[in-house]
Amino acid sequence: MLSAKAKTQFGNFLFVAPYMFVFAWLLVWPLMSGMGLSLFKADLFGGATFVGLENYGRLMSDPVFLQAVGNTFLFVLLCVPPLAIIPLILALLLNRSTRTAAFFRGVFFSSSVLSVTIVTLIWRMVLIPDGGFFANILAVFGLPPIPFFSDPGIVMGSMAIITVWWCLGLPMMLYLSALQQVPQDIYEAAALDNSRWWTTLTRITLPSISRTVVLVVIMQCVLQFQLFGQPQLITQGGPNGASRPIVLFIFEVGFRRWDIGYAAAASQILFAIILLVTLGQYLITRKRTGDA
Amino acid sequence: MKTLVSILIMALAMSACSPKDERTHVTVQRIFGECRANVPRDQAPLRNPDGECEILTSLIDQFQRENPDIDLTVNIVAWPGYDQLSAQYAAGDPPDVVSIHMSSMPDYQSRGLILPLTAELAQVGVTADKFTPAARQGVTIKEQVYGLPFDNWTPLWHINTGLFAKAGLMKDGEPILPRTPEDLLAQARQFKAATGKPYLVQSMINERAAYTRNLYTYLMNQRAAFFEDPKHIRLNTPEARRIVALFKQIYDENLTTKDQDYSSATQGFMNGQGGVYLVGTWMIGAYQAEANTPGRPLYKSYTVKPYPMLFGPERAAYVDGHAWVVSNRKRTPQQDEAVRRFLKFLYDHNYDWSRTGHLPTVQAVAQSPQYLSLPHRRDIVALSEIGRTLPSEVQRQFAIQDIIGDELFSAIAGHKPIEQALTDAETRTNDLLFHLL
Repeated sequence: MLSAKAKTQFGNFLFVAPYMFVFAWLLVWPLMSGMGLSLFKADLFGGATFVGLENYGRLMSDPVFLQAVGNTFLFVLLCVPPLAIIPLILALLLNRSTRTAAFFRGVFFSSSVLSVTIVTLIWRMVLIPDGGFFANILAVFGLPPIPFFSDPGIVMGSMAIITVWWCLGLPMMLYLSALQQVPQDIYEAAALDNSRWWTTLTRITLPSISRTVVLVVIMQCVLQFQLFGQPQLITQGGPNGASRPIVLFIFEVGFRRWDIGYAAAASQILFAIILLVTLGQYLITRKRTGDA
Repeated sequence: MKTLVSILIMALAMSACSPKDERTHVTVQRIFGECRANVPRDQAPLRNPDGECEILTSLIDQFQRENPDIDLTVNIVAWPGYDQLSAQYAAGDPPDVVSIHMSSMPDYQSRGLILPLTAELAQVGVTADKFTPAARQGVTIKEQVYGLPFDNWTPLWHINTGLFAKAGLMKDGEPILPRTPEDLLAQARQFKAATGKPYLVQSMINERAAYTRNLYTYLMNQRAAFFEDPKHIRLNTPEARRIVALFKQIYDENLTTKDQDYSSATQGFMNGQGGVYLVGTWMIGAYQAEANTPGRPLYKSYTVKPYPMLFGPERAAYVDGHAWVVSNRKRTPQQDEAVRRFLKFLYDHNYDWSRTGHLPTVQAVAQSPQYLSLPHRRDIVALSEIGRTLPSEVQRQFAIQDIIGDELFSAIAGHKPIEQALTDAETRTNDLLFHLL
């Protein structure tokens, strides 16, 4: 027989049960299935053969996959710092209750509501060397166009520019909401002490929103490790594989080659990378907060 | 309140009493785009009457009109449509009839997902000997026909004859085409010196298929057996190196457009940016329309030819094509009959489809005065005889095309030495084929 307390606790569990059921069904189960699938040689139509860790061994010696891993890290390095800093600057500039600030908040957020297809179409017109907006400006000064999409040394930078433009709205809003929660009396006290702008920023504002900064960095890392649509639509991973990220590799292997066991193994590695990077950042920032 | 509820229940009951639909239901899935706005039901297309989408939409409308006992549900999917189709097969709910590329048929055939149609087509009087050689080869796997061939297509040389004339490369109203790689380079240099424009227009960004198709055609031209068997490709060969070296030389000497994607290149040729655009049969209609429009850069300045044979005497061209296949799923005898009637209808209207620019797949159509009187068709019709697909049991041809194209661009643009790129293409392709289930 359950005690009265246990009965109450069980009753409480029923409130979260619908969510837990959907969570387990749509997230935990596919995750486990993917892990299982990565141990098989399989296509989409059944008849899988157990191969143990062979798919992981293949990945470790596949130069295309290793290049994709390198590309993905490069992209994250190119994207995450600007996506942490530029929205912060915008939020600091727009954190006031004027109409102009409200207008620009809308302007800077507007790119975030576009789909990746629209974003890539816009930026194709801007960056394509043959008659693109940027090439036309350079032509006015007699300069040759920059091969944004066909030079392996430049192409990931182009993807980063597109992505930063597309994604800066949400972090800006997160920063704005954090800034608006900093108590005004601290700023008033600082003003009474004749604190300079820089001192106020570094001693009051940034420490007050540090948790949001961590959130933005972790969130952007998780998102940008999953780069897919931009290179898929603009370059198909070229030139010379220089813009092929891990997710595009997974897509090509899973849907073009139907080698879904191999694709599942690559997915597990991506999952592990994101998990490790996120945990690492979390632990480092938690330790720092603890030290402070 | 009670009255209201009673009325509602009665209305609901009445609505359930609609007459039973006696028609036979068949699902058809196709690519080629959505253009209902251009083609009002049962009317002629309002514009672009020779477009793929317009012709097919009109044909399906006509089939529905002529077969009121059959109800076709048409799924239109984005090109190439294989992600959706594979997902449908995996979920056990594929369409009854679906348009796919001949190059993709081995993937579905090898897994038993599509049905052999030799006997089915014979029931409606369609036999393989009525197809053109290129079409017959494209739909035949292990001596069984697995699809109704709808067309063959291949890359062609679309030529700006106005610029060719300016460069002194026209004779008796026909463009002078090169016969050797050296000829081509000499012509291209002459063309550039005379016009200031590149000889070739090529799509190079976001493009992988074009290089691979060029390579296949010129390997066939050299009688190179690059697929010794369906599981092994051989690419690092003197024949392949020769081809890639030619395209690299063209690239290095700026004799081609660079940094263009497909839409830029397509538009660029239309605007007179270069002499020869390497693109498929499907552009003939659009460019011919430009050639007929006064004031346009291509006005009276357009023709189209098969690839000139540069490396040997063998007249050959890599071709692919579209075919209608039938899914291996449960159907009633009535549905099987409806499917057969639909396939026969498409077979009977092969000429209509060939207005798109694609090569006909029915021999009688290819030889008909009606077809040959369409613009430029006499110049390209031989491709339906000499065109060749890859060996019919080679699987994952789309993926292979991407891998090879990837590596070829690296070689042509100088990101990798030619030998290394060809070795990498060979290794990656053989690895893919080795790991097929």
